[in-house]
Amino acid sequence: MAMRIAIPKEVVSGERRVAATPDTVKKLIKMGFDVSVETGAGTLANYPDESYESAGASVEPDAASLWNSSDLVCKIHPPQLRSDGSHELDSLKDGATIISLLFPEQNPELVEHLQRGSKTAIALDKIPRITRAQKMDVLSSMANIAGYRAVLEAAHLYGGFFGGQITAAGKTRPAQVLVIGAGVAGLAAIGTARGLGAEVRAFDVRPATKEQVESMGARFLMLDVPMDESGESSGGYANIMSDEFLQAELACFAEQAKEVDIIVTTALIPGRPAPELILQEMVDSMKPGSVIVDLAAEQGGNCTATVPGEVVMSSGVHIVGYTDLTSRLPTHASQFFGTNVVNLLSDMGGAEDFKVDFEDEVLRKSTIVREGELTWPPPPDPEKPAAAEPAKAAVPAPEAPAPKKSSGHGHGPSGEPMAVGPRNLIALTLAVVLAIIGFTAESAPVPHFVQQVTVFLLACFIGWQVVWSVTPALHTPLMSVTNAISGIIVVGGLLGVAGPELNTAAILGAVAILVASINIAGGFLVTQRMLQMFRKEGN
Amino acid sequence: MELQSFVAIPNVAYLGAAVLFILSLGGLSNQETARRGNTYGLIGMMIAIAATILLLVVPNGYGTVRDIGSNNWTVLIVAAVVGGAIGSVMAKRVAMTAMPQLVAQLHSFVGLAAVLVGISTWLTADLAGHGSDVVHLLEIWFGVGIGAITFTGSVVAWAKLRGWVFGKRVPGAPLLLPGRHALNAVVTLTCIGMAVPYLADTVEQAAPAIELGAQVESAEDALERLEVGGGTASEIEASRDEVSRLSAELQAINHPTTDSRAFLLLMILTGLTCLLGVHLVLAIGGADMPVVVSLLNSYSGWAAAAAGFMLANDLLLVTGALVGSSGAILSYIMCKAMNRSIWNVVFGGFGTDGGSPSAGSATIEGEVTVTDVDEVAELARNAKSIMIVPGYGMAVARAQHLVNEFSSMLRKKGCNVRYAIHPVAGRLPGHMNVLLAEAGVPYDIVLEMDEINDDCPDTDLVLIIGANDVVNPGAETDESSPIYGMPVIQVWKAETTVVLKRSLGAGYAGVGNPLFYEENNKMLLGDAKDSMAQLMALLT
Repeated sequence: MAMRIAIPKEVVSGERRVAATPDTVKKLIKMGFDVSVETGAGTLANYPDESYESAGASVEPDAASLWNSSDLVCKIHPPQLRSDGSHELDSLKDGATIISLLFPEQNPELVEHLQRGSKTAIALDKIPRITRAQKMDVLSSMANIAGYRAVLEAAHLYGGFFGGQITAAGKTRPAQVLVIGAGVAGLAAIGTARGLGAEVRAFDVRPATKEQVESMGARFLMLDVPMDESGESSGGYANIMSDEFLQAELACFAEQAKEVDIIVTTALIPGRPAPELILQEMVDSMKPGSVIVDLAAEQGGNCTATVPGEVVMSSGVHIVGYTDLTSRLPTHASQFFGTNVVNLLSDMGGAEDFKVDFEDEVLRKSTIVREGELTWPPPPDPEKPAAAEPAKAAVPAPEAPAPKKSSGHGHGPSGEPMAVGPRNLIALTLAVVLAIIGFTAESAPVPHFVQQVTVFLLACFIGWQVVWSVTPALHTPLMSVTNAISGIIVVGGLLGVAGPELNTAAILGAVAILVASINIAGGFLVTQRMLQMFRKEGN
Repeated sequence: MELQSFVAIPNVAYLGAAVLFILSLGGLSNQETARRGNTYGLIGMMIAIAATILLLVVPNGYGTVRDIGSNNWTVLIVAAVVGGAIGSVMAKRVAMTAMPQLVAQLHSFVGLAAVLVGISTWLTADLAGHGSDVVHLLEIWFGVGIGAITFTGSVVAWAKLRGWVFGKRVPGAPLLLPGRHALNAVVTLTCIGMAVPYLADTVEQAAPAIELGAQVESAEDALERLEVGGGTASEIEASRDEVSRLSAELQAINHPTTDSRAFLLLMILTGLTCLLGVHLVLAIGGADMPVVVSLLNSYSGWAAAAAGFMLANDLLLVTGALVGSSGAILSYIMCKAMNRSIWNVVFGGFGTDGGSPSAGSATIEGEVTVTDVDEVAELARNAKSIMIVPGYGMAVARAQHLVNEFSSMLRKKGCNVRYAIHPVAGRLPGHMNVLLAEAGVPYDIVLEMDEINDDCPDTDLVLIIGANDVVNPGAETDESSPIYGMPVIQVWKAETTVVLKRSLGAGYAGVGNPLFYEENNKMLLGDAKDSMAQLMALLT
């Protein structure tokens, strides 16, 4: 009897997404699961029941019996009361598992409810932000969609062009867009606004995001206050900042509000109300017809004038507080969500080896309840104890870190000066030690040969250290320069020639000088010639 | 006191030179600092030579100035000037494709110099003093031996790389004499064994000198006593004559002679180790030449270090050690890139076993797809990211300038064109980078295999120009392949690959390439330069 997965229709009104699409259903079946979908689950996302059936799923009309007959329920929103007054969780049979967004901090009653019976609950919102788990991270995949949709909502309400126009009927300037918070949503918003032709500037408390912002074609706003790494907490989220920083930041936004046409705010601090960054007087100072899209509306909003779930008008400025931006793009949002779920289930071993393995960091962190036993919050990472400082001021913070960019376009050598530095330092330190041993002590208490061997071995070690730091692209010049410096054997020739008469020894020495000089001149010159050929692009 | 501090100058200068040499190698850690590194090396060398000359002309610790004949000065200067001039001309003239030959040649010079310095040191050894010390004599023995191996080994490597010498072709294939390992072992043991009579004979030669040295010393003591104790003028005169007579006598026998048995043994050693060097390198196949050149680079360092030991010169010692480790690391990197051990390279005779190209490897299924320049031009036009994998064949066809024009034109159009370099591409570590740099390819788009391999699946088009074994998927999959286990550039993961090749023959290592039979691979047959020229014509 294969494990049975239930895909219920979301009960939250207005939700159009679904936790699986015919495509991801196929993948689940391939992994060995049986899949049942509630009637009409995908209709609003443009996936009719027939398409699930042809993908191999069965379609079940009754929600309660669907839940009850399944070993695993995958959905989007946390389980809640249905319109008929029954609670979704009560239909989940004992020993079964639910996978969905759970937000355990905000939903203590739900966490308590989950512990009744011997159920297992995995919170998709608690999947750690590590590279390996990126493919299962629904917060990132949804944030990407929200960022995209936010710009489209703004464009829809804005009375002008995003891209500058030059026509016979006159010309317009490109729209000026400010994006606050450069996490996944912020970067998606930047990309979308740029794609429509707007000029974009962006701000984030984490200076490390500057490069990502600039790579998307936006300008990064810098504050005069020193910014350091402290903007980033463990897990890549933004932290709480100092008062001084907050003041500087608000001053910057007040300045920007007068200039820009569109503001997209994405600042969230996990587990706290959203920081208030766009104050009423900033809204008042904006040009009439401007648009603010507040992606933090669900957590209270980054703008004081935001009304969650609605579009309001204040001083001629539209303030969009939609909390269902992802649901407004249901087809692809469902597809991404479903794929995240498929990846998680595949990580858990598929249908055959399905298990909640606490050795796996992803599952340890995202499991809230295991067989009726509360396992949340997980033990802190040993290396980064969670030292929560009392909140003085809440400040912006992007809702999510951007995925690490692949280092595909490498500047291999210049990218690693840090790694090379210490190595050379070690070598130079050793050189000094060597100098003390080798070059000073005439009266050393050790036999001369032993002293020489010491110098020799130390020099080998230095050579070893230094040469490993040489970039492979310069190995040929390395060989020619070592050719040149091994011409130092000319010293031996000089000592051989330097006698009173021109005997055999002197002549041999002279020939040694001759060949060693060829090395010195030839080696250095050819190295110089080669190195001059190496140039950077554009030079 | 003044004298003492004066004597210290060369030593301080040597220290400075050694540090500059270290900085010189350290500067090569990236392209931006590389030129400065070379300048450091040059300055270090100047300082070292100036310090050595200073050492020769200033009074030594006992206040006596070294006696140097004017003829010697003339010879010294002429040798240095002529050598410098030859070196400059060589450096100016050498084609970048011929770098391996130049490097091999320069190695041989270091080896030769080490041999000459060794023999010269032996001939000028101060038998009555330090010169008959067994350790010192062994240092000379070893220095001459390693110098000679480096010398002839490098000459053979040079000849092989060059392909012909004195109008005759030198075979690239290894020369494998029957029982060659035994032969090498016998020669090595003979060289070690001969050290015993050599030491005995030199020490024997030294005996009268040491005795006479003792007499000189006692005569000098007597003279000193007379001078201090107030002997008569004639007594002092007589004693002084005695000292100078004995000194002159000592001078006459204080150095080993060329007609001694020890000298003969030293010559035999030189001869035998020269033959050993020839034989060792002759036995190594053409494909392994990069390793051999790196290895000889290392040997040349050890030879210089050995000279440092015998001359008690710390600068030579340090420099030799630096160069020696550098060569050792390069050899190691090369071996790793070919998944071979250094012993396998030195004693393996690789590239001959079996003889037939696909010996042992599974028969390759499928068809080779031959394409034409029109199709490749179309592919290049539509590609967003292109990878070029150059091999030595590109340099042989002199196509690198056209390839550079091709890549810079496409980059201007926004296509992400990059170069992927396998560590053993070319005939020398880093050789391909130099060839591309010469053609004008910016170094920041030239990436190492490890840096670029992960990007292969996202690449639309890979152009393989004159490379073969370094893109052979058989190295990963076919356990019977001679190159199995060698890390390769995984071009077959890209959307499309195009191999520019003269004909459908096997590569340098003589191994068949299943890449050619892949469905997404196309062969563009013909001379790489012609093909590139036609491509350019179609694209502009």
